[in-house]
Amino acid sequence: MATITINGNKLEVPDGMTVLRAAQANGIEIPTLCDHPHLTPYGGCRLCLVEVEGARTLQPSCTLPVSNNMVVKTDTKKVLDARKFVLTLIFSERNHFCPYCQVSGGDCELQNAAYNEGMTHWPLSPNYTTFPMDASHPYIIMEANRCILCRRCVRACGDLVGNYTLGFEERGANSILVADTGVPLGESTCISCGACVQVCPTGALIDRWSAYRGRETQVDVTNTVCVACSVGCKVNVLTRNNSLVRIEGDWEGAVNEGLLCEFGRFDPMKVDCERIATPMIRKNGALKAATWDEALSTIASQLKPLSGKSADGVAALISTRQPIEAISLFKELFADQLGSGMVTTTEEGEFTADSAVYADMVNKAFETDLKALQVAGAVMVVDADLVKDHQVAGFFIKRKLSAGTNLLVVDKKENGLNPFANKVLKAGKGSNAEIFKGLIAAVVKLGLAKGKTAIKAADLDGFAAATGLKTDDYLDAAFVLTSAEKPVFVYENGTDLAVLKELADVVEGELLSLKGGSNSLAASQLHLDKTFKINGHKAAFFAIGDGEASQKSVKEFEKAPFKVVLATYASALTGVADVVLPSTNWLEQEGHYINLEGKTQWAKIAITPAEETWTTVQTLNALAEKLGVKLTADWTKEMHERVSVVEIS
Amino acid sequence: MAKPKVSSDWLAGCAGCHMSLLDMDERIVDVINLVDLRSTPITDLKHPDESGVDVGILEGGINNSYNEEVAVNMRSHCKILVAFGDCAVFGGVPAMRNFFTIEETLRRAYIETESTDESGHIPNDPELAVPMKVHAIQDFVKVDVFLPGCPPSADAIFHVLSELGQGRIPELKGDTLHWN
Repeated sequence: MATITINGNKLEVPDGMTVLRAAQANGIEIPTLCDHPHLTPYGGCRLCLVEVEGARTLQPSCTLPVSNNMVVKTDTKKVLDARKFVLTLIFSERNHFCPYCQVSGGDCELQNAAYNEGMTHWPLSPNYTTFPMDASHPYIIMEANRCILCRRCVRACGDLVGNYTLGFEERGANSILVADTGVPLGESTCISCGACVQVCPTGALIDRWSAYRGRETQVDVTNTVCVACSVGCKVNVLTRNNSLVRIEGDWEGAVNEGLLCEFGRFDPMKVDCERIATPMIRKNGALKAATWDEALSTIASQLKPLSGKSADGVAALISTRQPIEAISLFKELFADQLGSGMVTTTEEGEFTADSAVYADMVNKAFETDLKALQVAGAVMVVDADLVKDHQVAGFFIKRKLSAGTNLLVVDKKENGLNPFANKVLKAGKGSNAEIFKGLIAAVVKLGLAKGKTAIKAADLDGFAAATGLKTDDYLDAAFVLTSAEKPVFVYENGTDLAVLKELADVVEGELLSLKGGSNSLAASQLHLDKTFKINGHKAAFFAIGDGEASQKSVKEFEKAPFKVVLATYASALTGVADVVLPSTNWLEQEGHYINLEGKTQWAKIAITPAEETWTTVQTLNALAEKLGVKLTADWTKEMHERVSVVEIS
Repeated sequence: MAKPKVSSDWLAGCAGCHMSLLDMDERIVDVINLVDLRSTPITDLKHPDESGVDVGILEGGINNSYNEEVAVNMRSHCKILVAFGDCAVFGGVPAMRNFFTIEETLRRAYIETESTDESGHIPNDPELAVPMKVHAIQDFVKVDVFLPGCPPSADAIFHVLSELGQGRIPELKGDTLHWN
C-alpha cells in the first residue's frame, strides 16, 4: 500500500494503482477522454493532467502509478488552464461541428468535457481540412472529422473482442483510423460487434440505425438479457415512446462485461417482417380475423378429445427463445395434462440431448464457466464455430491469443476459428471419439498424461489412420494442450462426451458446452429434446413466438390435420396454420433464462405490447382454462429435478 | 448613471439569433428599462453612435470585405464586443463552404444552380464586397463575450443582456451554457 495526498486528502491506495484510479476510488473527479474503465490506459488525450509536487511538468494521471508520499493537486489554476488548452487543441485539430452531430446535446464526452470547464468557445479556428467519412458498413459510420484519436475503438476491437480490425495509419495530425490495411469498413474483417461504437466518446463512430432517434436524456433504459443464444449477455435496451432505439452491452453484466455480437446488438433493429396483429382462424381456405375467445375455443374443441393420447394425439413444439415460465407451462399442458408423447423444442435437443444422457449417467455436474476461458492457457474447440454463433464466448478466447493462449480447433467442417488457431485437426473421416482417443494416445506418448487412461501410446497410429490424419498432427495438437495451464474444452453437443471427458481429465482440463439457444438448457432439464415427427398425430401446436422453426419441422407440421401457431411474425408456418395466435417478441415479454453456465437471469420487459398480442404464458393459461385444466408447475423446482452437465444456480 | 448603450448588427448569419432575442417576449421591456438600445438591424437606426457605445453585439461570421469593415467599425466603437451565436463564435453553418474554394462556391451559386439558365455569370462589379473564407469574429477583432448557440436560447440572451445592462461581464454556465 502507498500513502498519497490528493488535494490535501491523505489516501491509502494499493501499490501500482494509477493516480487516476486512486482519485476515482476516493470520489475525486479528474476529467478524461481516452480513458475507459474496461480498457488499458493509453495516455493520449492529456485531459487528465495533474500537478505532482517535484515533477518537472504536469503528469497524465491515467498512466502514472502512485508512489509513497506522492503529493498530487488536481484543482490548481495551472491544471485548469491546461485542461482548457488541451480541449482547445483537440477541437481545432479536426472539424467538430456540434450543431448537426447526432451525439450533441449530452451524449458527446468531448462536448461535455468542454462544458464542464465552462468553455463557451475555443480561441483557434477549426481545421477545415476534409477528413474522410466511411459509410460502407451496414451498421457503423466512421466519421474521421470528429475523431479525437483516443484509440478507445482500437483497444476495444483488439483487447476486448480479439478481432484487431481497427488500427491507425499515418502520424501526428494526419493520423487516421482505418480498418485492416485501409479498406472500407464494410469490406473489412469487421464482425459488426459494435464494441467500437459503444466506446467512442464522440460522434466519430456512429450506429446509423439509431442515429438522431433519441439522446440519453430522451430515452428509457431497460436492463435485460439478450435471448439470441445461450451466452445470455446482459443488455441495456434504449426505447423511446415504446419503440426500440438501440441496444447496448451492459458493462456491469457478469457474463459479457459490456460486449455484444451483431445478433444481439444490430439484428433486433432490422426486423421488417409482417407482424401478426390479431388471432386468426382459417375459414373456407382463408385466414380470417377472430377474437381470442373464438380462437381459443376452436383450439380447445380440437385438443380436448386428444387428451390422454400419447402416440397420436397432439404434437407440440416450443421455441427455445421463450422464457422458462412459458416452456414449463407448455410442457405441463401438453406432456403432463394432455399426455402427449411428442413435446419438444425448435432445436429438438440437437445440442443438449446427448450431454443430458451423460449427466444422468455420471449423476453430477462437471462443467466450468466462461470466466475459465479468460485464464485458460489452452483452449480446444470441438465443432463449434465461435466466429458464427455464441460469438461473445469466441471473443473471450480470441482476445487472449496474443497473450500466449494456445488454440486448438477440432472440426470436420471449415471453422471460422481456424485462422486464429495454433493447430487445426480437420479429420477426413472417423468419429469424434476416435479423434479424442487419438489425442489421449498422443498425450500419453509425450509422457505428459496427468490422469488415468487405458489408452496406450502405441494406439496413436491406429487412431490417426482411422481419422485420416498424421500422427504428427496429433502430437502437435497434444503439445498445444499440454504446454499450458488450465486447458478448457469447448464443445457443441454431447456426442462422445464420455471420451472427451476422459481426454480433459488426462490433461487436467475443464469442459464447457454451448447448449444452443437461450433456454435450451432449461428445456433439456424438462426433457424436451425429442426429434419432432408427425406420426398419425391429429394436431400440431407450434409456439415459436419470435423464433424460427426449421424447414424440416415445418414439413412435419404440414402433415397434421389441425395446425395451431403462436407466432410474432408471418411465415411459412402461419401460412398453412388453421389457427394463428399473435405472440409477443422478446422485448415485449419477461421471464427467466438459464445461460450455458447454468446462471439464471431475469429478462425484463422493455416494450408494452399491443393489447391484442399476448405472451406465451398468457396464452397457455387461457387455453388451459378452456380445457378445464389447472397449470401449477414450479419451474424453480423442475430445473433441479435432474442432474445437468453444469451446476444450475 | 446613464443606461449602458447597446448596438447590434448582423454579418454572415441568418438573423435567427436576433429572432431568438425577440423570443424573450415580454422580458424585452425589462431589457429596455436597463439599457439604451441604440441601433439594431431590426430597428430604425442601423449603425452604432459615432461617439461610441458601451456594448456592441455582432451576429454572423465574417465572410467578405464588407463584413470585415462592419466588424472592425463595431469593435472600434464599443467597449465590450459580444460574439452572438455560433456563426459569430466560430463560423457556424456558413463555414461549411470553407471546405470548397471560393471559385467553386461562386460557380455553384451563380452558374450551376438548377434554376439558372445559360445567362448565369459571376458578378464582379468593383463595388461588391470581396468574398473570403468564412471566419469567426475573433479571427479579425478581439471579442470580449462569447454567446454560443444556434441560436442561443432566449434565456441565455436575456441573461447576457441583463448582466451587461447591470455593468457585469456575464458568466455562462449550467442551463445557459448548454441545454438538453
